Amino acid sequence: MYTSSGFISFLLRRVTGVALVLYLFTHMWVIGSANSGPEVFDARLNLFQQPLFKLAELGLLAAVLYHAFDGIRLLLVHYFDMTEYRRSLFWAVIVVSGILLIAGGVPIILFMLEGTGG
Amino acid sequence: MATQENGRTATVKVQRFNPDTDEKPRLESFEVPLTSGKTLLDALLEIKTMQDGTLTFRKSCRHAICGSCAMNVNGRNMLACKTPLSNALDHHGAVTVRPLPYLPIIKDLVVDRTTFWEQYLRVKPWLIPPDDVPEKEFRMSPQEVEALHHAETCIMCGACYSACQVVGMNKKYIGPHALLKAFLRVLDPRDSIPGERLKDLSGTDGVYRCHTIFNCIDACPKGLNPTQAIETLRKLAQKRAAYEAQRAERQRTLADPVVSD
Repeated sequence: MYTSSGFISFLLRRVTGVALVLYLFTHMWVIGSANSGPEVFDARLNLFQQPLFKLAELGLLAAVLYHAFDGIRLLLVHYFDMTEYRRSLFWAVIVVSGILLIAGGVPIILFMLEGTGG
Repeated sequence: MATQENGRTATVKVQRFNPDTDEKPRLESFEVPLTSGKTLLDALLEIKTMQDGTLTFRKSCRHAICGSCAMNVNGRNMLACKTPLSNALDHHGAVTVRPLPYLPIIKDLVVDRTTFWEQYLRVKPWLIPPDDVPEKEFRMSPQEVEALHHAETCIMCGACYSACQVVGMNKKYIGPHALLKAFLRVLDPRDSIPGERLKDLSGTDGVYRCHTIFNCIDACPKGLNPTQAIETLRKLAQKRAAYEAQRAERQRTLADPVVSD
């Protein structure tokens, strides 16, 4: 195993990519049930109202942020000859995704606590 | 254990594997005196001559030009002859040497490089000159020569090839070494088949298989940049016909004196 920042970014890209595809199918399964009437839709939506899935929303946000910024990083490398800045770009993606994850994650956690504690 | 009466010693942990007797590789430690100017290859040679004659590794020139002694040192691919022993030691005074990863081990630090050479030959790494070879010489501009400098000092050591995770997962992938060589030929104004080369390189095992992991750049003992070469080939592959026409035009003036801008 040859570990490096490039390999970690590749691994995260793959894992978040697969996770997002799985999320998308689940999302369609829930939203698609609107065609079958309000009872079915509410039943399916209720499945995902548990605290566990609120927490999973944080993971979803993290996956979306990382995957998006990693894509931008790769576009920069592909089109602007930036291989020399490979490590800086990797850390930039981590930092930017991290900051946005905190910014978006805090409201999610507060909402979750309110929802269960209230 | 890290000191000796007559000076410091270094612990060299070497991955051993004998396919005839061993089921799986194991690490074996050797102590060697740490003297100034000693390279990792010197240490391995010392172990082989003084301690264990069965230790097997490849080496030849001892000054970083033959590419034989590429191995994995503390998790990074490098040339043993170019690595000072003192620089490779961790804070315990130890260094771990393993064979190049992702390749079948023949014995100890010797790996089977068959796929490496197969992929190399696959890209036709030789120059295919135009039919009309000039009587005296090809005239290339300094800019054209400069572009080739990014690839021509490759010594075919395999450090980049075996650092690449895509190679690890898929041995059909052409690999950074061969793509760098292909880059050298595609960019060379004397080469007459850049279009054909780009067509071959843009197949499923070619430039688009690269996942931009950058390990090849970090591993290269010559400081070359295979990733950038792959990016350049990708762009050229997208405008193959235009590039081919441009090359045909360029070859008409290859024997003429270079006109500076």
